Amino acid sequence: MTLHATAPPAVRTRAERRARARRRLTPYAYVAPFFALFAAFGLFPLLYTAYVSLYRVELQTPGEMEWRGLDNYTALLGDEFFWTALRNTFTIGVISTVPQLLMALGLAHLLNYRLRARAFYRVAMLLPYATSVAAATLVFAQLFGRDFGLINWVLGLAGIHPVDWQSGTWSSQIAVSTIVIWRWTGYNTLIYLAGMQSVPAELYEAAAIDGASRRQQFLHVTLPGLRPTIVFTVVVSTIGATQLFGEPLLYEGKITGGISHQYQTLGLYMYEQGWGYFHLGRAAAIAWVMFSLIVLLVGVNAALARRRKLQEASR
Amino acid sequence: MTVARAARTGAVLLAGVLLLTACGSGSSGTSAGGTGKEPITLTVDLFGSFGYKQAGLYEKYEKLNPGITIKETDTEDEADYWKALQTRLAGGGGLADVQGIEVGRISSVVQRQSDKFEDLGAFGAKKLEKDFAEGKWSAATTADGRILGLGTDVGPEALCYRSDLLEKAGLPTDRDELAEKWSTWDGYLDLGRQYKKKAPKGSRWIDSVGSLYSIMTGQEEERYYDSSGELIHTSNPAVKKAWDTAVDAAEDGLSAELDQWSPEWNQAFSSGSFATIPCPSWMLSYIKGQVGEKGAGTWDVAKLPEGAGNWGGSYLSVPKGAKHPKEAFELVKWLTAEEQQAELFTEQGLFPSNLGAIDRVRKYEDPYFSRAPIGEIFGAAAEQAPVQVLGVHDGDIHQQFTNALSEVEKKGTPSMRAWDNAVKGVDNVLG
Amino acid sequence: MTVLAPPPRSGAPAKDTAAGRPSRPSRSTGAGRQHHGGRLAHAILIVAVLFSAFPFYWTIVAATRSNADLAQTPPSLLPGPNLLPNIRAVLEEADIGKALLNSLIVSGSVTVGTVLCSTLAGFAFAKLRFRGRGALLAVTVGTMMIPPQLGVIPLFMMIAELQWVNQLQAVILPGLVSAFGVFFMRQYLVQSLPDELIEAGRVDGASTARIFWSIVVPVARPGMAVLGMLTFMASWNDFFWPIVALSSQEPTVQVALRQLGGGYVNDQSVIMAGTLLGTLPVLLVFGLLGRQIVGGIMQGAVKG
Repeated sequence: MTLHATAPPAVRTRAERRARARRRLTPYAYVAPFFALFAAFGLFPLLYTAYVSLYRVELQTPGEMEWRGLDNYTALLGDEFFWTALRNTFTIGVISTVPQLLMALGLAHLLNYRLRARAFYRVAMLLPYATSVAAATLVFAQLFGRDFGLINWVLGLAGIHPVDWQSGTWSSQIAVSTIVIWRWTGYNTLIYLAGMQSVPAELYEAAAIDGASRRQQFLHVTLPGLRPTIVFTVVVSTIGATQLFGEPLLYEGKITGGISHQYQTLGLYMYEQGWGYFHLGRAAAIAWVMFSLIVLLVGVNAALARRRKLQEASR
Repeated sequence: MTVARAARTGAVLLAGVLLLTACGSGSSGTSAGGTGKEPITLTVDLFGSFGYKQAGLYEKYEKLNPGITIKETDTEDEADYWKALQTRLAGGGGLADVQGIEVGRISSVVQRQSDKFEDLGAFGAKKLEKDFAEGKWSAATTADGRILGLGTDVGPEALCYRSDLLEKAGLPTDRDELAEKWSTWDGYLDLGRQYKKKAPKGSRWIDSVGSLYSIMTGQEEERYYDSSGELIHTSNPAVKKAWDTAVDAAEDGLSAELDQWSPEWNQAFSSGSFATIPCPSWMLSYIKGQVGEKGAGTWDVAKLPEGAGNWGGSYLSVPKGAKHPKEAFELVKWLTAEEQQAELFTEQGLFPSNLGAIDRVRKYEDPYFSRAPIGEIFGAAAEQAPVQVLGVHDGDIHQQFTNALSEVEKKGTPSMRAWDNAVKGVDNVLG
Repeated sequence: MTVLAPPPRSGAPAKDTAAGRPSRPSRSTGAGRQHHGGRLAHAILIVAVLFSAFPFYWTIVAATRSNADLAQTPPSLLPGPNLLPNIRAVLEEADIGKALLNSLIVSGSVTVGTVLCSTLAGFAFAKLRFRGRGALLAVTVGTMMIPPQLGVIPLFMMIAELQWVNQLQAVILPGLVSAFGVFFMRQYLVQSLPDELIEAGRVDGASTARIFWSIVVPVARPGMAVLGMLTFMASWNDFFWPIVALSSQEPTVQVALRQLGGGYVNDQSVIMAGTLLGTLPVLLVFGLLGRQIVGGIMQGAVKG
């Protein structure tokens, strides 16, 4: 210590201070690339969308902005097509998400058995996940063809009258949902499988000792253990359903989402307004409504999950 | 394969990609200065099928003008093309030397974006005026006389029909006799009702009521806008008449209920799902493409009921962002000149808007369409068709009406409700 | 449930009782893992696999037929001889070659950039201490909720201003923002990078950069590989932004497919041939790395 004391104190502290300052600042350098990109391509557009949504802006004349206040939003309230899109987003969301997650749960349960060819099943089921929305939709659009589609042909073999999978409200929504279900069931199966495998074996052993049947084990051990995973998939699927866009756009290649907007989702409606008719201000307002909707849905989900948890705990 | 191995494979792939990126960005800045005799590249950006490349016109032009190379890009879907063009006009970059403009968009260009295109009058286009059909010319000219584009093709209308199917149903097949019988649209529908009684199984009279509606509204001088630019879509009796006729056809089961441009519609050309289809001249090459050689001689062309009409057509324009506006204009002038337009008609079925070219093709008969005198039929239609007033949102508004008519024919939506839907759709378009 | 059921020692095959198989000691934590799947399980799984695979098979059938074949009843269910003419037609309608190359460039750059940014930030969030760390991490996670459509309009105005419309960087740069990636790498490093390793590095006098490259990156590599694969696939399949920012002149595969499906290409077999071409590369990657991708997704699920 005495040795150190002899060193010129001023010099040492400066060097030390510099080193300390550098060490304190280094971490920021590591997060900087992400946050710089985020600020430019994430945050700025987000805020600017809010700003644009208060104006009348046309894509053809972006320089002429006309203040509208909240008119773009209030106009949506009286806009029949907005409500149709909202309703469609909801119904397609339910038709595509509920069966999908239930099937995924069942398949995950099966895959969790000791099985031959387990790896094969997993990879094969994930295949649809690797295809793009565009490719999947083009194929399904053809399978669902009214006059020459394979699905109507099979239905015909069963004696069922051909279904117009394009013009009908329910039929077209089911068709669009099928594409979503096809692409995402395998993915969710794997997520559930991972969740199931992280349930401790002791719980099953205990249940087994208690004489619980397989079914009972599934209901009383697997499902509760899987709750966080289920919440996760429900949240992710909800977000996905709210943003649904590519499938309805490509299904018939129309921005209106069918002749009577029967399967136009909010995402597609926004695209129609912004890039079909060039009303950027209105499209921005729709975008913010979508965002609010997602925040709301995720919030409700989280609140529900939390309440269940509290109930469980207090039991 | 372990994850680490996978990572290595990935890394190798990506290294390759980065190399490619480097190459890609290196080669992007190719364009010559274009002064004097330096070789220049003219870029032409089009939609759908203008047929220039297929007819070998670029090669010919390059041969005539040493030092000029022409590069064409083409977007199949006009709506996509229009979107991309608008965004580039707004951004001011990435524009080609020559841009195609669909006739339904030309008034949007003239009224809203005239400052974004070169006035071709400045290059001497004014003296070309007498060469073109009057309506075609005036639609691309601003109120203060700036010329924003030269006309390429037009879409004079006729009716195409399957003479073999008509014969099976015991109807006349001669084009003059038919034209007489369907001299009115009511007569056309009556004939359809007769056809329905004895038609081959699964065959209807017309492809869709949307196409019937389109062709009828194409016969009017005013459709959705009046000449002062006011919207008249709800009050125009001509629109209402076309609507009602289309609804009649739908309710009497005369339509095959096929959305135009849908895969089913395409496939139905060869399967014989419909006996007649309203056809602008450009539809002829579409039919040939769909049906192929095996259908030669089964199709024929007759005059339209109740006068002439026009559906579609295009312009070539030079945007302000063009690198070589002068040379671009020369190319446009050449492509829209008499010889070239005439050639495009006989080779690609695109009917000329150039008066000289119309005269040249007057005698042309198409062997594929039972030697129908299509030069004469379409020529007369082009001369008699009214000069249609087109508004800013014409194409999008039209889409709302045809969608609503699809509801009538496919879902049995009552006419009144469908009409309301169309009107609401129009409000939605206007925003 | 408190009553212990005596495990059936022998005889009656215990179909429904879990204790039925005293069998092998279950090492794995897996739930029903102690059971063998029966025939029914296989049957159901095979049906599921067929459901997954059939559209691929149909793509091949349709791509090798002619439009007229597809308009027949009954439809043809076996591949035909028309693949090459169809592919030739595709190449005329949409520049699939260019689209594939563009997609490779975009997805490759996005993958490299995202993995790099995410590893850097993930490392800082996981192992470095700095003021505002918690808040910044919360912001990062929160942004995962933002729908991509939300920023599209100003983003578009930006790239129009920069004259980037129709240029690949318009798709690459926004693609680099991946909150998921940052979060994923943070979770990975929290779990697999012991603090002692970093301390040891510091004692040796290594700078943070040195520590990052020679200690963190080697440990993070498997996680980076997984993130890379997921990012690559997501970027390859990304649809909304590319169709806004690009056009058929400078397409990615998805933009080209949208063009093919836009309604003006009138031959279904040609559309399917295009779909086949556009999907093949991902399928190849999937064929090579399928098990790793499966593992990656499952790993991510447990951690996320």
